Parts: sequence; C-alpha cells; structure tokens
Amino acid sequence: MYQGLHGDELDFDSTWLTIEAAFREIHTKNASRLSYEELYRHAYRIVLKKRGDELYRNVHEFERKWLSTEVRETIQQLLSPNLLANMQHLGGTTTNERRVSGEKFLKGLKQAWGDHQVCMSMLADVLMYMDRVYCQDHRRPSIYAATMILFRNEILNSPVSDTDQRFILGLLNHVILEQIQMERDGDVVDKHLIKSCVHMLDGLHADDMESDDQRLYNVSFEQEYLATSRDFYQTEAEALLRESDAGAYCRHARRRIHEEADRCRSTLLESTMPRIQKVVEEELIQNRLHELVGMDSGVRFMIDNDRRDELNMIYELNARVDEQKAEITRAIQKRLVEMGTEINNDAISASQVSGSAAAPTAEGGEKSRSAVQEKGQNQQTVAAIKWVEDVLVLKDKFDRIWKESFQSDNLLQTAITRSFADFINSPSFPRSSEYISLFIDENMKKGIKGKTEMEIDIVLEKAITLLRYVQDKDLFERYYKKHLCRRLLMNKSISNEVEKQMISKMKIELGNNFTMKLEAMFKDMTISEELTSGFKRHVEGLGDRDPKRIELAINVLTSMTWPMETIGTGSEDDQSKRPKCNFPLAVEKIKRGFEKYYSEKHSGRQLTWLPNMGTADIKAVFPKVLQKDGSFKERRHELNVSTYGMVILLLFNELPAEQHMTFEEIQAQTNIPHHDLVRNLQSLAVAPKTRILVKEPMSKDVKPTDKFYFNEGFKGNFVKIKVGVVSSGNKVESDRERRETEKKNDDSRNFCIEAAVVRIMKQRKELAHQQLILETIGQLTAQFKPEVNMIKKRIESLIEREYLERIDGAKVDSYRYLA
Amino acid sequence: MGQTPTEYVTLVSNDGFEFKVLRSAACIAGTIKKALDPHSGFREVAENRVDLPTINGVVLEKVCEYLYYNQKHAESKEVPDMEIQPELCLELLIAADYLDV
Repeated sequence: MYQGLHGDELDFDSTWLTIEAAFREIHTKNASRLSYEELYRHAYRIVLKKRGDELYRNVHEFERKWLSTEVRETIQQLLSPNLLANMQHLGGTTTNERRVSGEKFLKGLKQAWGDHQVCMSMLADVLMYMDRVYCQDHRRPSIYAATMILFRNEILNSPVSDTDQRFILGLLNHVILEQIQMERDGDVVDKHLIKSCVHMLDGLHADDMESDDQRLYNVSFEQEYLATSRDFYQTEAEALLRESDAGAYCRHARRRIHEEADRCRSTLLESTMPRIQKVVEEELIQNRLHELVGMDSGVRFMIDNDRRDELNMIYELNARVDEQKAEITRAIQKRLVEMGTEINNDAISASQVSGSAAAPTAEGGEKSRSAVQEKGQNQQTVAAIKWVEDVLVLKDKFDRIWKESFQSDNLLQTAITRSFADFINSPSFPRSSEYISLFIDENMKKGIKGKTEMEIDIVLEKAITLLRYVQDKDLFERYYKKHLCRRLLMNKSISNEVEKQMISKMKIELGNNFTMKLEAMFKDMTISEELTSGFKRHVEGLGDRDPKRIELAINVLTSMTWPMETIGTGSEDDQSKRPKCNFPLAVEKIKRGFEKYYSEKHSGRQLTWLPNMGTADIKAVFPKVLQKDGSFKERRHELNVSTYGMVILLLFNELPAEQHMTFEEIQAQTNIPHHDLVRNLQSLAVAPKTRILVKEPMSKDVKPTDKFYFNEGFKGNFVKIKVGVVSSGNKVESDRERRETEKKNDDSRNFCIEAAVVRIMKQRKELAHQQLILETIGQLTAQFKPEVNMIKKRIESLIEREYLERIDGAKVDSYRYLA
Repeated sequence: MGQTPTEYVTLVSNDGFEFKVLRSAACIAGTIKKALDPHSGFREVAENRVDLPTINGVVLEKVCEYLYYNQKHAESKEVPDMEIQPELCLELLIAADYLDV
C-alpha cells in the first residue's frame, strides 16, 4: 500500500495529464470537485521520482499558454476603440465615455490579476512538495513567483492588439492617470479599483531579480504620474494667478495639497506621498510664492483688511517650502515699515500744518502770534499722542496677526519686532522718545481717571512695549524726567500710586540705572512734604499766632536729579545773572524763616528759590461796585495764582483804587524776569475768565508802556478761581527746543562714551581700535546706540587729555591706557 | 465552501480508520493545512475530511498523537520525549515527509 508513494512504476505522462486537467478545473473555478490530497500525492510522487524538472517546466509552459491565449484575449476584448484612440488625442469622446471604458478595462485587468493570484496560490499549494524539494535543490524561483513573472510578460508586456503594438502596461498607466485627472477635475472615480491595479503594479517588478527599486509601480507608473502632475499644477498655478485673488489661490493650493495626500492614501501608495507633495509644493508654492505675496490681493491687502485666515494659509504654505519663511517675513516687514512710516509722516505733517497755520497770522500782526503758537503746540501734542496711539493700534494689529495667523512663530516675532524698532528709530523721525513720554504724561494727567486698575495697567504696559523698541533710551529718560518734574511740582499727576507703578515697570524693563534719578525725584517730594509739615510745626511753636500768617508749602529739589532746564534756572552763570525777585514783605519774612529753619537742619546746603515754579492761594475781596446785571455787593474769591502772579497782585493791594501801574513800574518793583512777567500779566489781564487786572490799551499783547488797573468789577462764577499761567503744561517741544534737548543729550552721551572708554581701557590696558569701538557700543546699547564717529571724537579727546595714547608701530590702530 | 469551518476534522487512513482531530492540531501538518485551506476550496474543504490513502491506521494514530503532543508543548520549554516503537519509525518518517510535519 505504500507503493502508492514509493512504488517503482510511475507513468509521468498520464500523471501529468491528470494534473493538467485538474489545473484547468482550478482555472475555471471548479476546484471543489478535486481532491487536494490526490493532486498533492501525484506531484509528490513525481518529485520523489526525480522528475521535478519536467514537472516544473510543464507547469510553467501550461501557465504561459493559458495566459497568452485565454487571459490575454479576455483583456483585449475589453479595449474599446475610443479607449485606444484617446491614448493619442483626447477628443471625440466625452469624459464620461472615457471614464466608463477606462473603468471597464481596469476592472477586467483587476479581475484577471485577482484570478491569477488565487489560482497560482492553489497551484503552489498542490505543488508544495515541488517548491520544497525541487526548487530549493535546483535554485529555481518558487512556482508562484515564476507565474507572477509570467503575468507581467504575457499580459502587461503584451501588445494591446495584433495590429497595435503598444503595451497593455502603457495603456494601464495612461488610464489610471486619466482617471486621476478626472478626479482632480471634480469627477468621482472608483478609487478602490485603481488601488487594486496599483497594488498589482507594486507587486510586480520590471526585472526578474525582484529588487525593490524595480517595482513596476515606481519604474513605470510613478515617474509618469509625477511628470504629468507637474505639468498639470504648473498650468493650473498660472491660470489661478491670472484669474483669482491671493486668498482664493491659497485656499486652492491648500486643498490641492490635502487632496494629493488623500489620493496617496486612498488611490495610490503612501510611499508616493512625499514625492507628489514635493511636486505640488514646488509648482503651486515655491515657484509662485513670490508672485503670490506681491499680488494686489497679496500679503499687503491681507494685512490691510485683516484677512487673518488668509495670512494663516499663506504662512502655512510658506512654512511648507521654507523653514525660514523668508517670503512672508519680507512682505510683512515691508508693509509694517510702510505703515509705520505713514504714521511717522502723519505726525510730522500734523505738526507742520499747525506750524504753517501760524505763519499767515503772524504776518497779520504781532499781537496774536504767541497765542497761535500756543495753539500750534497743543496740536502738536495731540499729534504726538495720536502717533503713540496709532503705533499701539498697529502693534495690536500685528500682535493679533502674529498670534492668529502665524501660530506665534518665533522667527516672525523677531522680524516684526525688528520692523517696529526700524520705523520707531527711523533717522527721519527723531521724536519717538519724546512722544512716548508725552503719551505717558497725558495718561498720568487725564487718562487714568475713571479707569480700573486693570485698564491702567494695560495702558502702562503698552507704553512700556513701545519703549522696548526705542533705541535711544537716554533721550527718553531726559524727556520723561522733564515731564515727570512738571507733573510732580504742579501736582498734575492723578495718582502717585500709578506714577510709582510706572517707575517700577521701567525698572523691570530697563534696569536700576535708568530709574535711579526718577526715584530720587520721588524721594525729594516725600522729604519736601516732611519739611513742610516740620516747618509748619516749627512756626506754630514760635508762638506768635498771626491770623494773617502765610502758610508755606515747599519742595526742596536736589539740583543733580531734577532737570534744571525745565525748572528754568538754566546753567550756573545764568543763575548769578538772574535778578532776584523782590517778594512782598510778608512773603519775604516767611521765606527767611524757612531758610533759617532749613540751614539749621542741613548746614552747608544752599537754597535757591524758584518763584517761577510755585503757586499761591490768595483770598481776595472785590469791593461793592455796580455789576452789569445790576447786583451790588462785595464778592470774595479764592484765587490760585502763580507765585509771580501773587507778587504782582499784592502790589495792587498797596495801590489806591483807580490808580494804575505801567508794565515798567511793575517790572522795576518786582524784578520779575521780563518773559515771566509778560506771561503772568497776560493771564491776569488778558485771559477773559481770570481778568483780575484791566489793561490799557486792551489788546492781547503786553507792551512795556501798557497800564494796569485793578479790576474792581471782576466777577467770577465760582468762589475758587484758578489763574493758569500760559504754557505750563507738558507739550511737544518746538524745533528750537528739540535741538537744544538733543544737544544736551549729545553732551551727556559724550560723558557716557568717555566713561565707557575709560572703564574698558582701564581694565584692558591695551586694545585695538576696532575692538574698543565694539566694546564701547556693547556697553552702551542699553542706553542708546552710539555713533562710531562720536566714539572716535571722544577717543581723540581722551588722547589729547592724556588718558590714552596711540601705540606706535602696532599693526592695527591700538591704544594704551595711561594711568 | 460557504459553511463555517468545524472545530474538528476527520482524517481517514487507508485501512478505513477515521480520526476526529482538532482542526488547529491537524493543521500543524502543512499538507493537511493546505488541503483544508478555505481559500482554495478543494473537495476536502467542503467535507472537512481528508483521505490519506498512503498512511495506515497504526501510523496515523501515532501521527495524531504527535500532532496533539506538538500543540500541547508548542510553547513550553522542557518537553518530555514522546514514546515511539522502533518498528514504527520508518513509516512515521515517510508519513512525516508526506504530511510536511
């Protein structure tokens, strides 16, 4: 009974016939009639009898014949004429017809391939023993692999018909590409069908070695796919740029990129994804981005119209092809600087308009000139504050864009910051420091009222943000000191608390050095309060209770920390020339009293009185005179006037009614500087609501020969009346003032530079010129950006003064420190 | 075809003995596994029965014993030797080659 396996007799031919017949049954799907064991036993015996070689060849030949006749014929029957025709030229057939005939072909091929695989796997099962023994011993490919190659040779690499020598494979590629194109154009195609065919191509190789890089999919299909896609997207990009706006283009490009990724997943192979992505990115983004960004509807338009979603798309597209995002960065910076420069120019032209408006009136007569100038300055201040607000709006705008559109990208943040600094520090716009300080000043005086702590904090924080961009921090400090000084001395500040908050914010942002002097100013104010109350107690202690006693509130300022030019003392020699104001006796007495009190407490300190900065409250009684409205009674007012104003008014106390004084007389008696006297008389005799004096002749200007009377008929609506002295608030500087400020600033910069140079040289002893310049700039950037020329001049000067010397014969210019 | 695979399959020896064996154990033998492969759909699949006309009942019994033995110890390490009568050795070897065990 085992002879069935090992018996001598083996009729190869009849056994083969049995096997061959069975294979036919398998091919025609009648396997259920066959006994696997029987077939296996036949093949087993043949191999056992060393006839494996014959068996292998017979099977191979059988399959070749089967494919080249039966299967090939089925496939060829699927090829409709229009399918073959449109391989050369599209036209004559509708898309739908082409799609249907293409699908028919793909389906047939898929079916044939699927059948082939199933049958070959059954054959391989039956011939298992042959694969195991014969193929391994003789190094032949397994029967399964061999028959797969047959499919490629006999079907894919066969002509489409007897007369048409083009290969089925070429047609297959063409049909798949056409289907994909239809999908791109919006048709629905059978993705699974295509995917099956793609898998077939992926499973077969161009060579017989079956190396991985020789898959038919890669060698034949993918290359063609990438090439046609490139053509397609190139044309599409061109058309899109011509026909639609940038936003639509971005949306479209993004959709295409996603589509291609989806297509790789659903229809093709994922391995194609990076390659096709690259093609799409190159054609739709890289090659077009520059054009896209610069379109009328490009980045500029998007920024101007807050198209943040579009900016986001363009950002993402840019990020796909360029890690640096250079294109969008460039466009953003360009627009930002443009907008910033616009704001700068607006501020400049606003100040010029007011300047030129003053000119024609000045021609009309001298009289209103100063008033117009005053008005012009107010307008300039408005322009300054508008500048800051505009910049802040711009900053908010770009912050939002940065957050929402650019995903808080670090590179873009740096770029935006740089652009802000660029236009804020633009050489054609030297006023940013002053404007920012004015903005804070304005808010300290008016804006804080009625705002919650949170809102205050936001305003201050914004000011600090701008300050961060400013290069010349020393100039800002100068202005801030000046403005702060006015606020403090004139009690203009709404809240001391907020002032201190601001200072501590600046301290965090700019460091201790920066705020030291500002803090000293606050300290002076506190000490002064103590002095005032101390002096008050001191006077009370003296015992002579005088009902007419004048109360004194005093601010003692350390001359080093306060900006003297603002206070009006000017430089030292200026001060000695300055005429001492003659105070009325009562005032002079208390002044002396304080001087004595102060020198007892702090011996050796010298007090300089600055009457131009002070104010006085006077109780004034206006006699009974007939009013315009017929009333006839005495009126009492509390007048708040400047110290000079008080001195002037007290003169009229001495004067009998109806008597007058001329300007010159007043000047002679009081010794008030000419300029201050004019201003004070203007506010007392010209300003309509506070006309406590009457001037003759009645005009807006004050001339030396003008006569002044006490206005007995004065009537105010309130008991308390504040007589403002013109031009006491913080305003934009005039050009002359600005030049002065800048000159002073340059002077102090010179000191800073010299100090830095000496510090560096003291440590290094010897140093090359270039190195010294670099280190100096490095030390000073926190305060300002020194010009190289300035540093050179300082070095020259230090050499002259023998702090340094040039090293003779050194290769590069070098200096030595002279102790 | 079409019916769900049963838990047990029948192996038939040339002298008519039928062995009902767990499908999972039977399929340890490559030849039996292929014969019962539902994708191919040979006659054996429909019947859940494999005729083995080259193997007699005694040997097939030993083969089945081995298949269970193999399945039981598939994942254990120290496997006890299986008892095999010397006179069965040759026939078992032939059957093993044939069944691809």
